[in-house]
Amino acid sequence: MSPDFQNLNSRLKTKDYRLFLAVLCLILAVTNAPSTAEGAQHEKPTVAVANYPLKYFAERIGGDRIKVVFPIPLDVDPAFWVPEPEGVLTFQAADLILLNGATYSKWLNKVSLPRRKLVNTSQSFKDQYIEIKGSATHTHGPEGAHAHAGLAFTTWIDFQQAIQQAEAIRDVLARLIPEQKNDFEANFSALKDDLLTLDRRAKEIVTNERAQPLITSHPVYDYFARRYGLNIKTVLWEPDEMPSNEQWVELISILRNHPARWMIWEGEPSPDSVDKLKSMEVESLVFDPCVNVPDQGDFLTVMKQNVKNLRSAFR
Amino acid sequence: MIDSLYIAWRYVRFNKIKTATLIACITLIAFLPLALQLLLDESERQLMSRAVSTPLLVGAKGSALDLVMNTLYFDDEVPESIAMMDADRVEESGLAFPIPVYARFRARDYRIVGTTLDYFDFRGLEIAAGRPLAIVGDAVLGAAVADRLGLKPGDALISSPENLFDLAGVYPLKMNVVGVLKKSHTSDDLAVFVDIKTAWIIEGLGHGHQDLIKSQDASVILKRTEKNVTANAKLRIYTEISKLNLDSFHFHGDDSKYRVTAVIALPNDTKSGTILRGRYISDGATNQILKPADVIDGLLQNIFRIKNVIDGVIFLVGIATVLAIVLVFALSLRLRQREIQTIFKLGCSRMTIAKLMGAEIFIIIVSSVVLCALMIAVVNHFSNDLVRMAFIR
Repeated sequence: MSPDFQNLNSRLKTKDYRLFLAVLCLILAVTNAPSTAEGAQHEKPTVAVANYPLKYFAERIGGDRIKVVFPIPLDVDPAFWVPEPEGVLTFQAADLILLNGATYSKWLNKVSLPRRKLVNTSQSFKDQYIEIKGSATHTHGPEGAHAHAGLAFTTWIDFQQAIQQAEAIRDVLARLIPEQKNDFEANFSALKDDLLTLDRRAKEIVTNERAQPLITSHPVYDYFARRYGLNIKTVLWEPDEMPSNEQWVELISILRNHPARWMIWEGEPSPDSVDKLKSMEVESLVFDPCVNVPDQGDFLTVMKQNVKNLRSAFR
Repeated sequence: MIDSLYIAWRYVRFNKIKTATLIACITLIAFLPLALQLLLDESERQLMSRAVSTPLLVGAKGSALDLVMNTLYFDDEVPESIAMMDADRVEESGLAFPIPVYARFRARDYRIVGTTLDYFDFRGLEIAAGRPLAIVGDAVLGAAVADRLGLKPGDALISSPENLFDLAGVYPLKMNVVGVLKKSHTSDDLAVFVDIKTAWIIEGLGHGHQDLIKSQDASVILKRTEKNVTANAKLRIYTEISKLNLDSFHFHGDDSKYRVTAVIALPNDTKSGTILRGRYISDGATNQILKPADVIDGLLQNIFRIKNVIDGVIFLVGIATVLAIVLVFALSLRLRQREIQTIFKLGCSRMTIAKLMGAEIFIIIVSSVVLCALMIAVVNHFSNDLVRMAFIR
């Protein structure tokens, strides 16, 4: 060892030099640490969704690469949410806002959202939206009579349409985080397989009895009926409310020309309604559109149960 | 030299009115062209910076200047409107992103600008107090509006009727002030921003009213059938959007046909912008697309042509003033002939007398320069606001 090196070595052992090295290390550590802004860049992109099916699709496709937020309360039908500023600000803060389209979110014309972030997941089949006719109108002022009718919006219970909506989510996520494109593609394929299985099962179940008349308790099954060729007539009943006399009269009138033996409910019907329907030889089954986060399971388990429930009507 | 300056100083102090008049003349003749140039430079900067930062504008065929001035500076002249579907078409083209602007209505003396939240990102506007627009009926005020009207988040602002004599017209809307923008030193400071849907409510295309289906008030219902309820003029129309009546607000008709005064088109790139512009070049097109920078450039050319005339006038007035000042000094010398002879007899040389006269002129010119510089500094400080008051508003 050279004398110079020995000299240096001895000097390194002194207190001053140790202190100097400690300060140097601290400075290097501080300068090499990622800044807050850089750290923020590594945060997951946030995707806000307008209903639970979109939440499920986004979570399945995006996985842990994105943060999915659903600002609408769990006890509210997301289509008819009365917007609160806090919820709207949560939507605004997201990097993407996934909408169902088909005028699903009735609150959309009452809120301010950045147009650039909005994604209509049903845009690819917008020419196939079903128009609902015959809702009540009212008249006042110079505008003349007007109705608050619109489009059928429960698009995802046609599982082929659900696949197209999932495709839209995959594409927009791939644009948002291009480096994760392959992951999104793989996740989408798995989701697509699940939805195709549901689609196939639903088709198999209804194949032999497509023409049989059915009653639906709410106008939310239009796309499902179109996809699987069901013969439905719709009333406007709430599952947890006993229908009024007028509603029963309306049903009897429908049954005269449309002798249905099954009524499809969007939620578990009240036992009184079920009993009264039974007395009219109409059975009840539940097909839950799953608009909000289910109490148990997820979108897939609810839809599997829905398809299973259908079997009883098509035996 | 100090002695000469001191004697000259005593002289100008003694002849206050004459000195003040001379200083005022010289100051004004220097100040006017400089201030005009300063204001024109500032107006050019303001007009051009906003125009250059707005790549393309789609609007109804007609006055390009009205369209640009209304959309960029919220000017009084409201151009012909176009349909919201024209904004959708821009987006569907895949060439540009549209930001609709509906700058038609007023609240007090300030323009209500109906737009989407994208406008705030595009212009880089930030909230200084409160929150951004969230619900229809919300309004975010420009810094100057909030300052001049003394409004803050939580207050209300009522839209002004377009025509005082339109008694059957649309009810004014009481808007909820939810935020105030940071000062941007642009026309945005003088605007009341609302969501485009709120602007349509002010127009009367959307409204809220008591529930006709549930209403049992026979005095409101003219006719009730299974499918239709007809109300009379007694029907209560809400003039304020609150949490309680928000659900009752709705729009009538096809919203793609609702009107906007312009669409700011943000092309993906230069090529996309060129292709988009090409799509509006046809004889049958009812809309026009233009580059605001070109329109403002044309406007500035006219302003500078006028400025050249003003410069010429100022130049001639300047020469006349200088000649008048020379005359004043010449006459002053003649009037002071006895005084000069007295100084000469006291033993001062001709050079000393010349120094005294020179010092007087020096003091007057320096005073004028200082005063002019002060006035220019004041104009420079307020040039931003002055330009907006005088040229843009």
